[in-house]
Amino acid sequence: MSNRGRDTRTARSRWSLFGPIVAVGTALAVIPLWLDHSGVLMGVAVLGLAFACYAIGFNVIFGSTGQLFLCVGALAGIGGYGGAILADTVGLPVVVSILLATLVSCVTGGLLSLIAVYRSLGVIFTGIITLIFTLTFDALLLGLGSLTGGENGFLIKAGADTFLRKRIPPYYVMLALVVAFLLLHGLLRRSHVGWAWRALRDDELAAELAGIDVARYRVYGALVGAAMLGLAGATYAFTEGRVSPTTFGFAQVDVVVLVMLAFGGIGTLLGPVLGAATFTIVDEILIEFGQLRLVIYGALVLLLFLFLRRGVIPTARDFVAKRRLSQASAAPD
Amino acid sequence: MLEITGLSAGYEGNDVIQDASFRVDSGEAVMIIGSNGAGKTTLFRSVVGLLAPSLGAVRYEGTDITGVPAQRIVRRGISFVPAERRLFPRMTVRENLALGAYPGRPDPKTMELVMDLFPRLAERQRQRAGTMSGGEQQMLAVGRALMADPSLIVLDEPTTGLAPKLAADAYEALGALRDRGLTVLVAEQQVPLAMALCDRGYVLDNGRISTQGTSAELANDPDVRRAYLGIT
Amino acid sequence: MIANILDGIIFGIQLGLWAAGLTLIYGLGGVLNLAHGQIAVISAMVLAFAMDAGLPALPASGLALLVGGLVGLFLDLTILRPVYRLQGEARVLLSLLLTLGFAFIVDGFLNWRYPGRALSLFIGGGAIDILGVPMRRGSLLASAITLVAFAALFSFFRFTTLGRAVRSVIEDEEGARLVGIDPARIMRLILVLSGVLAALVAVTRSMVVSVDVQAGFGITVLALIVTVVGGLGSVSGALLAGIILGIVNVIAADVIGTFMSLVVLLLAAAVTILIRPAGLLGVEE
Repeated sequence: MSNRGRDTRTARSRWSLFGPIVAVGTALAVIPLWLDHSGVLMGVAVLGLAFACYAIGFNVIFGSTGQLFLCVGALAGIGGYGGAILADTVGLPVVVSILLATLVSCVTGGLLSLIAVYRSLGVIFTGIITLIFTLTFDALLLGLGSLTGGENGFLIKAGADTFLRKRIPPYYVMLALVVAFLLLHGLLRRSHVGWAWRALRDDELAAELAGIDVARYRVYGALVGAAMLGLAGATYAFTEGRVSPTTFGFAQVDVVVLVMLAFGGIGTLLGPVLGAATFTIVDEILIEFGQLRLVIYGALVLLLFLFLRRGVIPTARDFVAKRRLSQASAAPD
Repeated sequence: MLEITGLSAGYEGNDVIQDASFRVDSGEAVMIIGSNGAGKTTLFRSVVGLLAPSLGAVRYEGTDITGVPAQRIVRRGISFVPAERRLFPRMTVRENLALGAYPGRPDPKTMELVMDLFPRLAERQRQRAGTMSGGEQQMLAVGRALMADPSLIVLDEPTTGLAPKLAADAYEALGALRDRGLTVLVAEQQVPLAMALCDRGYVLDNGRISTQGTSAELANDPDVRRAYLGIT
Repeated sequence: MIANILDGIIFGIQLGLWAAGLTLIYGLGGVLNLAHGQIAVISAMVLAFAMDAGLPALPASGLALLVGGLVGLFLDLTILRPVYRLQGEARVLLSLLLTLGFAFIVDGFLNWRYPGRALSLFIGGGAIDILGVPMRRGSLLASAITLVAFAALFSFFRFTTLGRAVRSVIEDEEGARLVGIDPARIMRLILVLSGVLAALVAVTRSMVVSVDVQAGFGITVLALIVTVVGGLGSVSGALLAGIILGIVNVIAADVIGTFMSLVVLLLAAAVTILIRPAGLLGVEE
């Protein structure tokens, strides 16, 4: 009897994790039905999914473990440039290149986190160190022109004749990444790792006193998040067929990802996807405004952080909870 | 002079102090005694404007000053010396004292009075506050508070971290100030020292004022004797 | 070589003065102003347009400084209000995000309305020999003004009651309140001052190289790095770090080229921060 009760409970809790992810995945999977007539719009959609991946990766690092990594673009760029160089210049197979580049990105993220943890840098100093890393990465891209193509970047020859460059398949490749990342993050949140993450986010000192190795779980978060960023960056680079500094630039990636995540809700599972979807559409609408787009972006950032500081998902959740509460208290028992 | 009625105060909705009322008349020395964690610091912080009380009123010389921020209360004539002293560690003794007279220039007469009271400070005017000993820092904290030329000086545990000899010296200085007509309100755990200085006192117990009376009455109160004077 | 080092020092002092504004704001209230560079750019544009309109350089520069100060005041009165209600890291984060949003608006607007616009104040006349090195008059004037500004800043903090009040808030905000100092008003004063300083450096910088509408973020990032290396809250640290990084920058540029010199500069900054998180002249907490 009690055994059965537990079974249904696990089944329900499993559904509460998989349900929303499956729903989001399905909703996104049908989008090409409307867009497949336009290569441009499909490109936008693929980029949107890449941003969803970046936002999930950043969410794992910042949302779950509180490390402000201002090097999302650079870590994704290590994946993108690394994959492209390994495949084109070194001549490795595309899949191997992607995986190796992901590994490099993962290790780099882990090292940055290790430094931050080891020197017990707070949010701001972690932000500044990683920002310096981003600037260094950018300077290297420009400085090592013979390898990276300087400010123009370069066209990736490897994989040009595969499905990665067709119109529709890249969308599903990136979508598979989004779903896989969501599942991984969701499962991690339910494991002892997620429990430790919540503890250290709530009260780092208390977590430490409770015997949680805060440093180690921080580094775990960075490793997972950076691997996601690297993998997404590398995969996106191959579907695009080219890399350039702006593909992974600070203004083009980090700032946008931060806004997306803040909009959806930092630390929530689906917030990154909601934010990425919303801002991909907003961006598409604003494209005709040219330079004014930046003004509108700035205004949106201001409005967002002035009036919706916790993001859409937490705010909506609170709203629903409050309504339920008031309905429950209004209804006579 | 100072009248507190029905004051409740605390942090994040939890009132540490509940319904406290007491008064200090002009020229008096009054003590609030209580053990560690009784709420003395919270009580004083809400009196001097570092913490907004959740209930009750603080009146000073007939005006309601409840919720007035600390930086304005000091200009009305109440100087506060917190237990942590809150000096400016990288500034010299003289700079610390000069800032006590903010926004004005330091009054030479007051400066002289402080130097007379604490000759150590006169010797160390160019030393940085952060490099001084605990006793000297306490003198500087009191000296800085005096530079504002207050009518009432409020001290939270002025003997914190001081050796017995220095603690006695500190109270001697407070006695001298009192003799000059300054009104003194002090919170203290080292009750015998405070009793020798003060006319009256209140006992703060778990955030509530449990007993009050003259120093002599309190010294004869069996509960006070047991809890604070170590006499059974 | 000597000429380059002198150039580096001049650039370094200017960086230091930019960083001084940032470091003071952070030291006072845990607020990071990522629109610092945009204030400089706005002032530069005001100066450029005022001179186009026929205003002589001196009053036009005065106008630019005034506008810089007003933008600082504007930030204090508007978007920083909600920031002041928070504490600790939440405060730093919100300040960073909101000023970033403001910076976007400024950058986007200026680049849309005045694309490619730049300010350069070329000071005429031949070069002057300093230590046997010919220096351009513009560079000399720029460094003289910047040095005077630094001297004025230091005397303000050392010898005036108001300057001491600013330092006291940085050292112990509660202690400052207890002697009657209102930290909010000090913060407002320093935001205005940092706006004026940002404008002043923009004006002097334009005597050496041109300052264009896109310069904002570059300025902010450099100033931020100098601030952190020098120690958050330390004006002398900002000056020292500015000069060191200025020299590192020109030497590295000479030896290995522009982009790689930036890498050296950044690595130098990162290493300093990692060895001494409090910065060169900061106080360990």
